[in-house]
Amino acid sequence: MAGSPNQRTAVTAAHDVELAARAALGERAVFGELVRRHSSAVRGLLRRLGADAALADDLAQDAFLAAFEQIAEFRAEGTFQAWVKRIAARLYLRRWRRDKRMDLMAETPEPDMRPVDESRRIDLDAALNTLSAAERLCVSLCYGGGFSHAEVADALNAPLGTVKSHVKRGLDKLRDRLAGADGQAGDQVHG
Amino acid sequence: MAELEFEARLDRLFAQAPVFPDAAIFAIEVDHRLERGWTLRRLLIGGLGLLGGLFGVVQLVSLNVLSRAETLTAQSSKLLSQNVHQFIPLHLSFLDLPFGREILGMSAALAVIALVLGLTRAIEEI
Repeated sequence: MAGSPNQRTAVTAAHDVELAARAALGERAVFGELVRRHSSAVRGLLRRLGADAALADDLAQDAFLAAFEQIAEFRAEGTFQAWVKRIAARLYLRRWRRDKRMDLMAETPEPDMRPVDESRRIDLDAALNTLSAAERLCVSLCYGGGFSHAEVADALNAPLGTVKSHVKRGLDKLRDRLAGADGQAGDQVHG
Repeated sequence: MAELEFEARLDRLFAQAPVFPDAAIFAIEVDHRLERGWTLRRLLIGGLGLLGGLFGVVQLVSLNVLSRAETLTAQSSKLLSQNVHQFIPLHLSFLDLPFGREILGMSAALAVIALVLGLTRAIEEI
């Protein structure tokens, strides 16, 4: 275990792949470092998918527990963060299907009633808030969760064309919102 | 081109993790849940092992397996010694060897020790 200060330093300096390999051997403290490194990204993704704060945190915890259970299956073909994000996204989709939150087949986009304060710096999360729930989910799964359009369609049990049109409409809205933002300032993200 | 640039920017924005002030607390909560899971699993495995062991003992006692095994062992031993005496020529019997049974026993023990050492070495090399 990473008990002594030297061991802790070694853990914090180690690469994700090394930590994952050690966690696969049962070193729970080492897995804790992976949680510390990537929890914000996973929680952020879940919120961007449309989960409220409490649900996002619950699902993020579940995702890390599932990741620890399946850590031996992590092949380091992608990053550890991307791997956990996919697990989290799948957990969210399972919850979403259970709750049947929206009708993806409804082609009419929800009206955007949120006022935009132009004086306020526009960031990604603010821009995502202007999308309909379906657009937000599809765009976030593709760009935040690393899903392909076909994977999103499969996961949502929706036609591929519907998913593509949600993504396109979502991207159009995001482009409009983000176009006005200053390059550097616009790239900053709030929690 | 503009489309590609926008998508690259979007990838970059999504890759940036928001900052959560309670990130340390979140990590501790995950650790606690992992610990709870391990404790429950250990208790479950231990409990099942205990139950399995008790069940095995009850079965052994109820089926009178030990006395049956004792009888079978005695019969097998008797049969084995009869066959040995039948197939081994008299001039090779232990009594006729130029050394005693103790020497034979010690040699066998040394051979077993050497075998164990060899196996240990082989496992270490693997």
